[in-house]
Amino acid sequence: MDSSAWDEQAVARWLDPLVLERGDIAEVFVERRRRTVVEWNDGEPAEPRVSLEAGTSARLRRGGRERLAFVSGADEAALREAIRGLQASAGHSPLPARSPRPRPEADSGSSAERWIRRLPGILGRHVPRHRLTWTLDEVTRRILPSGAPASLSERRLLSLEGTFVAASRRGDETRSLSFHAPEADATADELKEALALAAVPRERPVPFGNGTADVLFSGGTAAVLFHEILSHALEADAGESPLSRLSAARLAVSDLEVRDEPTRLDLFGGYERDDEGTRPRAVKLLDSGRLAGRLTDRARGGPRGSTGHGRRAGPADAPLPRGSNTVVSAGGATTEEMTRRLANGLWIDGIESGTVELSSGQFRLRYPGGRRVRRGRFADEIGPGILAGEILSTLSAVEPVIGREVRPCRSLAWCSRRGQVVAVGGAAPDVIVRRLSLKDR
Amino acid sequence: MMEAPPREDLPALLERLAPGSWELYRKTAETREADVARDEVSELWRREEGWAARWWSGGVRFASGSDRGRLAEAVGRESELPAHEEPMPRLPSPGAVRPASDAPVEPPPNVFERLALLVSEKSRGEATLASLALRRGRAIEDIRNAAGLSVRMESPRLDGVARAVGRRGSRGCESRAVFRWDSEPDLESLAARLADGATFPLATRGPTFPRGSLLLDPSVAAAVLASIAPLFTTQPLPPWVKRSELASRAVTIVDDASADAPFDGEGTSTRRIVVVEEGAFARRLHDLRSAARMGEHPTGHGVRPSYRIAPRPGPRRLFFETTRGVGPLELLGRVARGVFARAVTAPVSADLARDRYEIEFTGVAVLAGRATEPVAGARVSGRVSELLARIAAVGTDRQFFPMPYPVGAPTVLVEKVSFE
Repeated sequence: MDSSAWDEQAVARWLDPLVLERGDIAEVFVERRRRTVVEWNDGEPAEPRVSLEAGTSARLRRGGRERLAFVSGADEAALREAIRGLQASAGHSPLPARSPRPRPEADSGSSAERWIRRLPGILGRHVPRHRLTWTLDEVTRRILPSGAPASLSERRLLSLEGTFVAASRRGDETRSLSFHAPEADATADELKEALALAAVPRERPVPFGNGTADVLFSGGTAAVLFHEILSHALEADAGESPLSRLSAARLAVSDLEVRDEPTRLDLFGGYERDDEGTRPRAVKLLDSGRLAGRLTDRARGGPRGSTGHGRRAGPADAPLPRGSNTVVSAGGATTEEMTRRLANGLWIDGIESGTVELSSGQFRLRYPGGRRVRRGRFADEIGPGILAGEILSTLSAVEPVIGREVRPCRSLAWCSRRGQVVAVGGAAPDVIVRRLSLKDR
Repeated sequence: MMEAPPREDLPALLERLAPGSWELYRKTAETREADVARDEVSELWRREEGWAARWWSGGVRFASGSDRGRLAEAVGRESELPAHEEPMPRLPSPGAVRPASDAPVEPPPNVFERLALLVSEKSRGEATLASLALRRGRAIEDIRNAAGLSVRMESPRLDGVARAVGRRGSRGCESRAVFRWDSEPDLESLAARLADGATFPLATRGPTFPRGSLLLDPSVAAAVLASIAPLFTTQPLPPWVKRSELASRAVTIVDDASADAPFDGEGTSTRRIVVVEEGAFARRLHDLRSAARMGEHPTGHGVRPSYRIAPRPGPRRLFFETTRGVGPLELLGRVARGVFARAVTAPVSADLARDRYEIEFTGVAVLAGRATEPVAGARVSGRVSELLARIAAVGTDRQFFPMPYPVGAPTVLVEKVSFE
C-alpha cells in the first residue's frame, strides 16, 4: 500500500529550517489504511464495508509547544499543504502552493477475500449461530523525521467480535466473543481454538456475590490488569498517580516481572517502528517486584532518548507516549497448583474492558463470567461482574507464586486515552491477586 | 494501481453498479484545536475530507474513502464481497442546496487561565484545572442520490474536554467534562462541574440513609437519557416496555435537530419528533432502512457519526421537554431526604434488554430541601422501567451536553430510590 512517490530530500529541505534548537522535533507522518468489515449472521455475510483512507500530517515540537497540521490524502499535494499549514502556524513563510501531478500508488493486495472465503467454514463448525463483526485493518505508516532516515511500518490486524449461541447444560446461552490478533499464518488455527474454547458447554451461571474475593487471572487476563495499573501509570506524560514518587520502590513480590514489549509482533499491540520512526525496545515496568522504567516518546525521552512508545491513533493526532504489549514473565506453577493456591475465590479467563483513574489510583475490570473455586477445586459457573481495586494495594496483594505458561490475551485490543485509540496487546501466565473488590453485574 | 477519477465519474460508476439505487456523501471539515495543560500547549489544524457511497446491488453495500479516487477503488473492492439480499428503501427526493461559507476558521478562544481560576475558586482551592482541549471548526456535508437529491449543509462547532484534579491530603480524584457551546463559552457552569466532580469524591462518606429522593443534575440526567436512547430506535421493543406507560406523566422527550442541520445524513428533512409524550412512548426515530422495514415514514434520523460509518437510525438532538417544568430550587425544596447527584463517577450503565440500570455518582446530601454535606460516592441501580416511572418532576434549567450528539436535560427529580 505504500507510495514512495516523494522526494525525501525535498521533504528534508522543507522540514530542516523549522528545526532551530537542539531537541526540536520536525517530522512528516503519512498513513494509508484499508479496512474491510463484514457482518456475519449465522454464516451469512451481510453489509460488507470497505474503507480506504490516507492522511498526512506535519509536526513541529519545540519545548512544551506542539504544532500539528493534518490534511487528507497522501500525495505530494497533501504533503505540501500539511507543511504549509505547519509553517504558517510556526510563523515561517509558507511553501508556494503548487498542484503536482498525481502519481499512481503501489498496492500490496489484501487478504480480505481469502478470509471471507474461509470464515463460513470456521464459524459453521464451532459457533454456527452467531452475530459477529469481522474486521481486517491493513495499515501502512511512513515517518520522515528531520535529521533522520525515513521509516516504514506495516500492520495487518484482524478482529472478530460479537455474540454467539452456545449450548449450556440447561439450555442455549448467548455468549460474547472478542478475538483480536495480528494476521499471521497461525491466526486461523488460533481463531479455531479460541472459538472451540468459547463454545464449551457450561452450567448456567450464578452471581458470585458482592464483596471482596481472591482472584486468579487465567487465560492471559493478568495482562489487562497490568496494562491498566502499570502501563498507563508509567506513560511518561501520565499525571500524578500513586506511582509518581516511588522510583525503584519494591511494590510487589520479587517473582513478578512485567514488561512492555512492542517488539512482540505476534501480539496485537506490536510494531517494528513507533509513530515517530523510533525502533522500539522492551521496557521493564516492574523488575523483580520493583518499579522500573517508563514509556517514553521523543519529546519525553530525556537523556536516554525515546523507548519507542510514541504512538498516534492516526495522522490527525500528535504522538503520545503509550503502552503497547503488556507481558508478564512466567513463574513455575502449573495451572492445577495455581487453582489449589487460590483455595477459595474467583477464577476468570476473560476481561471485556478496563479503566483506571490515575489521580486516585482506582481501577475497574469488567469480566464476562468465571468459575468459583472452593477448596482448590472448580465449583459454580459465575456470571458477569466488575473487579475493582487500587494500584498500590493490588500490586502488594499479588501472590508470590506465578503460573508457568504464558498465554496471549486475545481480548485485549484497543486502548483509548485522550480520545486517541491505539492497538494494544498482552500475554501473561496465571496470576493470583488477593482481596479485590467484586460486584456482580 | 489507482488513478483518481474525475468528480463526475462517481455518480456514473454507482449508477452503472446499482441503477437508481445509490447515494453519495461527501464531508469536508476544517478545525483548529488548542490543547492546553500546565506545561504543554498543542495547536492542531486539521483539514479533513471524506467520501462515502451506499448502494443496493444484491444487498446493501457501503464504501468510504478519504478522496474520490480511494472511494472509487473501495467501491470496486466492495462489489466483489458477498452481501445479504435487502430491498432498497425509497430515497429522499430532490432538496435545496445551501451554499457554504468559505470564511477561515478562527482559532478557539484562549480561556485556560480564566477557567483555571474559576475551578480553583469554586473548589476553595482543592481542585486545579489539569488540561483544556478546545476545538473550533466547521463541517460541510454534501449528499446526492439516484433520485436526484442534492443538498449541502454547513455546521459550525465549538466543543472540547476539560480535566480537573482534586487533592485533599494524600488523596486525589480526577474529573472530566465534555462540553459543547452553541454560543458564548459558559465557563461558570463548566468550572462548577469540574470542581464538584473533582472534590466531592474526596468526602469521607457516602449517603447515610438507605432510601430517599434522587435529584439529578442536568449533566447526570443527560447521561441517563443518553443511556436509554437506544430504546427509541430499537426494533422490536423489549418486552418490559409498556407503550402507554414508559415513564411518568412528567416526562416528555423530543428529538429536534432543526437548529443544527436542515437534513439528516441521508438527505431527509429534519423535523421535530415527540418520542415520549407525557410518559407514553409516542414514536420511533427512523432512518430510511428502518422505516422501510417497519412500513413507516423516515423521521430524518439517519445519522453518520463519521463518513466511514454507514447511516443508521439514532437521535440527533434529544432532550427533555421543559415547557411544563418547575424551577430547580423548587425541586430542591421538594426533597425531604435524598441526594443531589452532581456528577457521574462511571458511565451510566443501562441494559435495556434486561430492564436494568446502574448510576454511580458523587453529590450532596439533601435534608428538608437544603444541601448538607458532600457524598463521596453512591450507587443506585434497579429497573429502568421503575426509574422512568418514578420521575416526579423535571426542571426548567435545561442544558445540552455532547453524548456525542447533543442531549438536553434539566434538573430531574426521581422519588423512592434506594442508595447503595
